[in-house]
Amino acid sequence: MGDNIMAYNGGSVIAMAGKNCVAIASDLRYGIQNHTVGFDFPKVQRVNEHTFVGLPGLLTDTQTFHEKLNYRMKMYSLRENREMKPQVVAHMCESLLYERRFGPYFVEPVIAGLENGTTPYLCAMDLIGATLKTQDFVLAGTSSQAMFGLAETLWKPDLDADHLFEVISQVMLNAVDRDALAGWGCRVWVMTPEKVTVRDLKARQD
Amino acid sequence: MAVEFDGGVVMGADSRTTTGSYIANRVSDKITELTDKIWICRSGSAADTQAISDYLKYYLAMHSVELNEEPLVRTAAALGQQMCYSNKNAVQAGLIVAGWDRAKGGQVYNIPLGGTLVRQPFSIGGSGSTYIYGYCDAHYKPGMSKEECLTFVHNSLALAMARDGSSGGVIRTVVITKDGIERNMVPGNRLPIFYEGP
Repeated sequence: MGDNIMAYNGGSVIAMAGKNCVAIASDLRYGIQNHTVGFDFPKVQRVNEHTFVGLPGLLTDTQTFHEKLNYRMKMYSLRENREMKPQVVAHMCESLLYERRFGPYFVEPVIAGLENGTTPYLCAMDLIGATLKTQDFVLAGTSSQAMFGLAETLWKPDLDADHLFEVISQVMLNAVDRDALAGWGCRVWVMTPEKVTVRDLKARQD
Repeated sequence: MAVEFDGGVVMGADSRTTTGSYIANRVSDKITELTDKIWICRSGSAADTQAISDYLKYYLAMHSVELNEEPLVRTAAALGQQMCYSNKNAVQAGLIVAGWDRAKGGQVYNIPLGGTLVRQPFSIGGSGSTYIYGYCDAHYKPGMSKEECLTFVHNSLALAMARDGSSGGVIRTVVITKDGIERNMVPGNRLPIFYEGP
C-alpha cells in the first residue's frame, strides 16, 4: 500500500454551491497505484432525494462506507418515516468515522445537498470525522492542491446552474490533467430544486 | 519504444514527467539527440538519464573527431551500457539507443535497468511498456515500411498511455534514415482511441 494510503487508488471529488443549486463532480478512474484498471468508478453517490456524498480515498473503503451509510439511511427513513436532511447525513458520517478513530476508514467525505430542497449545503471531512462547513466549495482527493488553485480563481457566489456546471467542470478537468492518479473521465451532477442532471465530461484518457 | 525498418528506425515516446503523482511536465521530450543520426529514448530517473545522455553526447563527439567519421550506433550503445552497468547501484536508467549508420543501417539497442545490452528489431521500455508487451508481440511483423512502423508506434504508445498513470501527454516520434531526421508530435486529442469503458 506504500507510504501514502490515500494515494493508493487515486481519485478526486469537488462540490460547489451556486444560487439555490449545488454541483458535485468526481473523476472516474479506478487504479491500483499507477495501473489503471477501470474507467467507470465514480466516487459520488446520490444517497437520497436531496443529498450527494462523495468519498475519495482508498476505494475499498469508499465502497464499504457507501454501503454502511446506505444501511443507516434506510433504517432512519423506515423508523422516522421521512428523509434524512443533508446536515444530518453529514453528522452521521462524522459519527461513523470517529467510531473508528484509531483504525480509520481511509476516505475524506465531501457532502453536497439542498436543505429544504432549496438552500445549498456543503460539508467536507477528514478521515476521522473533523467537519468543515462552507458556503463556496469543498474538495478532496489526490488532485486537491490543483483543484484549490482553480476553484479559488474561478468560483463566484450566486452562479446559476449552467454557469456552476461550467465552472466545476473546468476546475475538475484541468486539475486532474495534472494528476497521474486521477482522471480518465469525469462525471458532474447538478442539483436544483426542480431536478438533478448528470453529465459525463469529455476528458483526456491518459 | 523504437522500431527498426529497412532504411532506418522509428523512435517514439510519451511526454509525461511525474514527481510522485504530480505531473511536473506534461510535454517533456524524452527522445534526445546524441549525434545527427543516433538518438536515445530515456526512461527511469530523469536526472540520471539526462546526465548519461550528456556524457554520451560528449564522448561521441570526441570519438567522431578522432575517427573522422560518423560514430556507429553500436558504439553509442556500448558506451551507454558501460555507464549503466558500472553505476548500476547508483542510477535508475532504462535506455533505448537507436539510429542509422553506414555499416548496418537502422539499428535498435535496448539497455534495461541492470546494464544489459541487446540489439532487437523493436524495443519497448518505461513503466508503460508492461501494458503493451502482448500488443507489440501480436502486431509486430518483420519487414514493415516506415509508415507501418509509425502506425505501430502510435497505437502501442496510445494504449500504454491509456493504462499507465505515469505515461501520458503527447506522442513524440523521431524517424532516422540516411537522408536525415523527421520529428513529429501527435497531441492528446488526436491519439488513436481504443476501448474506454462501457
